[in-house]
Amino acid sequence: MNLANLFLHISAKRVRLQVVHTVMTVVGICLGVAAIVSIGIVNKSVIHSFEDSINRVTGRAALQITGAAAGFPEGLLERVQSVPGVEYAVPVIDTQGILYGARENTLMILGVDVLQDSNVRDYKLSDESADIPDPLLFLARPDSILVTRALAEREGVKIDQKIRVETVNGIQTFRVRGMLDPEGPAKTMGGNIAIMDLPAAQMAFGKDGLIDRIDVTMIHGADLETVRSRIQQAIPEGYSVDTPAGRTKQVEMLISHFQKNINLISFIAVFVGMYLIYNAVSISVVQRRKEIGILRALGATRRQVIALFLGETFIIAIVGSALGAAVGVLFARSAIGAVGQTVSELYMRTSISEISFTWADPMIGFIIGMLSSLAAALFPALTSARISPISAIRSVPYSEEGFLSSGKLKVVSALFVFLAAVMLLLYKTVQHSPYLHSTHVMFAATILLLLGISFATPALLQGFLVLFRRVISPFVGASGRLAGLNLQKNIGRNAVAAAAIFYGISVFVSSAGIIHSTKQSVMDWIDSYVRGDIIVTSGHPIATTGAQNIPMPVDMWKEIEKVPGVLSADPFRKIYVNYKSRRILLLTLDIARRMQYSPFTIAEGKREDMRRLLPGRNYIAMNEALSAKEHVKPGDSVLLPTPQGPVRFTVAVINVDYSSDSGSILMDMNTYHRYWKEHLADSFSVRIKPGENVEAVREAIAQKFGRDRKLFVLPAREFKKEIRKVIEQGFAVNHAVNAITMLIACLGIIVTLLASVLERTREIGILRSVGMLRSQVSRVVIIESMLLGIVGGALGVGAGMIIGWMSLEGFLRGDYGASMHYHIDYASIFWALGLSTVLSALAGVYPARRAAKTNITEALAYE
Amino acid sequence: MIELRNVSRTYSHGTKEIHALRDVTLRIETGEFLSVMGPSGSGKSTLLNLIGGLDQPTSGELFIDGRPLHGVTDDELTLIRRRRVGFIFQFFNLLPILTASENVSLPLLLEGIPYSKVKPKAEALLRKVGLGERTEHRPEQLSGGEMQRVAIARALITGPAVLLADEPTGNLDSRTSEDIFRLLKGLNAEGQTIVMVTHDPKAAAYGTRVITLQDGSLSEDTAAGGRAL
Repeated sequence: MNLANLFLHISAKRVRLQVVHTVMTVVGICLGVAAIVSIGIVNKSVIHSFEDSINRVTGRAALQITGAAAGFPEGLLERVQSVPGVEYAVPVIDTQGILYGARENTLMILGVDVLQDSNVRDYKLSDESADIPDPLLFLARPDSILVTRALAEREGVKIDQKIRVETVNGIQTFRVRGMLDPEGPAKTMGGNIAIMDLPAAQMAFGKDGLIDRIDVTMIHGADLETVRSRIQQAIPEGYSVDTPAGRTKQVEMLISHFQKNINLISFIAVFVGMYLIYNAVSISVVQRRKEIGILRALGATRRQVIALFLGETFIIAIVGSALGAAVGVLFARSAIGAVGQTVSELYMRTSISEISFTWADPMIGFIIGMLSSLAAALFPALTSARISPISAIRSVPYSEEGFLSSGKLKVVSALFVFLAAVMLLLYKTVQHSPYLHSTHVMFAATILLLLGISFATPALLQGFLVLFRRVISPFVGASGRLAGLNLQKNIGRNAVAAAAIFYGISVFVSSAGIIHSTKQSVMDWIDSYVRGDIIVTSGHPIATTGAQNIPMPVDMWKEIEKVPGVLSADPFRKIYVNYKSRRILLLTLDIARRMQYSPFTIAEGKREDMRRLLPGRNYIAMNEALSAKEHVKPGDSVLLPTPQGPVRFTVAVINVDYSSDSGSILMDMNTYHRYWKEHLADSFSVRIKPGENVEAVREAIAQKFGRDRKLFVLPAREFKKEIRKVIEQGFAVNHAVNAITMLIACLGIIVTLLASVLERTREIGILRSVGMLRSQVSRVVIIESMLLGIVGGALGVGAGMIIGWMSLEGFLRGDYGASMHYHIDYASIFWALGLSTVLSALAGVYPARRAAKTNITEALAYE
Repeated sequence: MIELRNVSRTYSHGTKEIHALRDVTLRIETGEFLSVMGPSGSGKSTLLNLIGGLDQPTSGELFIDGRPLHGVTDDELTLIRRRRVGFIFQFFNLLPILTASENVSLPLLLEGIPYSKVKPKAEALLRKVGLGERTEHRPEQLSGGEMQRVAIARALITGPAVLLADEPTGNLDSRTSEDIFRLLKGLNAEGQTIVMVTHDPKAAAYGTRVITLQDGSLSEDTAAGGRAL
């Protein structure tokens, strides 16, 4: 195979000689693949962890019946037990408490029927507790609790000792009656699980007469689907009867937005890596123009030249992808804890300590790395084959040959931008087509726009340089003029460098725009939502149900209002409910009280319509995201599952609410109490009397309740600051990706300028021989670099704003609602322009030093 | 034998047309050493590029040993370059990353023959051009004359039908130039057909026949000491 000879004698030497180039490309591919592999593993591990804990907690149950997160009447149990085919149907309280031990720990609390539960789940008691759990003893004492051995050892707790757990009724003391060996449910949540008798759990967690779940085992030989449909018929509508696998699916759906977001980030990393390869191969083609010319003159076919470049990329991609696959597994290992924490805080508690790893994960990353590398190298490799042997081997300034002539390039560029515009238009106008109004369309439009502008870079750079020559260069001296002329001589190659900066800056600006817009929209909403002076909550400021939050009795508002200086204390409760196979948030407020001071941000309808939500009437407000997904308008009615059976509610208004990316419904708290029979609150919004001091009142509330329960009593300003901090944290990955893209863009500029300086050795020698100072030579190169930075930066800012807006349209508005608007982040634009100019000037320093060091006599003899 | 029948080559430069060669008819016999002379822009290099298969005529016909070079695909033309033509350039055009021996072997490496098999032949050729001791040197370690000898050895490795030299000594001092011309003369004496472009009459005199181009047309042919055809 003649290619083997080419690789052996040319590629292998090239790779060795261009160490910087090779290492840079390998690192780029490695990072992209590592991102894909690690994010893939992390995503899978999160799902596996949920699946594992669902399966362990489920035990032998083939079906699980769930309703609203607030619980449902235990009377339902009897109906299920009498369904033919059902062997056992056992009630479960599935909630959480906070253990106050050496440090605070969130505990999963299972309240079970101790007499029956062993028919469904296996509990193995450790030896030291062998003499205890007489179920009757358990029943006899409502303060009994079973903990896992792992937890007991960690906390240094022994049998019969007491532990303190925060419950709905405040901090309560329980006595450890036994320890569970790590088997069955005891193995989930890293051992942070405790078992209580059902009535005791109901009492402690404010669920009197309510249960969270019914776990069902079936008689041997009974058909799952038959039993399922029989149960469905036996109970009211609105409950879901699911297999454990079905419940895992629900969880997958719940966190799908989160997974989509981090997948997008891994895609960006791969795209950046691809651009780096494109850049590296393009530069290599330009640098090795003469080599290609000689090879072609000596009889290398076009195919051989293309294969040479693709082959080199192939070898580099193998190394980069293999490294990336390995690094990805390491990344996943180190990131899994943090991701688990985020998922726990934002969606649902989980405890992940190990990654779920199969060889398929690194293999998929490796294949994606190889394919995207070769795809990125294809275009410049094809360009290499267009190099004519005559112009390459003759020592004359060459006219640039590209795969496409500059005319065709303009046409292709215009076509791409046009297609992007058409897609955008279709996306905006055809709102109801699932094919046209999809994130995929927006995604394709973004890629087309990026490519379109990339292809237009030579023409735009040319235009800028003409402007520079006519308007600016008279004021910048000989170095400036020369820099302009040098860039103009090699538009194609310099355009690649400008495009690298363009790409980096556009990612930077678009990402900054999205972050700014999201923050702005959420903060605007929070401002309209949080109208109190002080917020009293028992969990993390933005904790949702399932996260670290122990609800409080709703009547606590009365106690808070007794604190001197307090004008009013309004309770707020949020729970997840199932609505059309989605898990959405049900938010409840005292509308009558809120009407007095809350502006309510309304997307469709009037603020006055909120009055319809007042008690005694079945009205709700639905958030934009949900109304868009379900095509619901004000006046439409929706059927919501309640513990009393399904109830029809009329939508009064469509409101703006960013509490959940799966949708939310707002209801008056009295209506909620009427149907859900649950009297809990997650937080209280406290207003103080005019003239009172916020700090003093805050202190007084904390004093009054701090002994009985763990509370966060935060002034509204601090509460908002906490929320802002959480939003910032959520964007940490985006900032990391920004830094990487800018770094790659700078490397791109260094490589380009270095190639340009090497190519101009003779010319620089001539300039030095006629009296150009070393400092002047440096200045020329640095000005060239800055000019490239300015063009790339300006293009990047323009494209970044458009792409930011498109991403908001395509990815965020679908999830959060149409009220989310694009806010231009002027600070990021200022930074982008400054960064692109300064960084490219810095990137020019090394090539400039190389140029300044040029030896005149050697340069003049240089060929 | 090389034959050109009414060969023209036109380049378009924007809206302007440049006639680099106009209707040239020429026959170069096997074993001839043809010197091509003419002022700058007369079409010398264009003629060489056409014979070497680096370029194709706009009109007319061109044959090497009866095989047409006009109207063939790029791949066919490339194979003709690889197997039937040996190039010697003014600026040597060696690959700086390869040793002398590897540079000489390059055309056969492109054929897919392993280096281990090509190497003895390459070394023999390097010995023939007087570089037997410098086979493992890279171009940067060689003098101008030595680089041109490497280029000559490379041009010979496929046993080409014709050796094309474009101002082969344009970049060398007069003593080294003479050595190169003597080397070429010697090769010609062994039967190698050579076409050499030069604008130095002294260099042209090494040829067995001298033609002169003027504005893309053949103005003089001293094959038999006569005038242009």
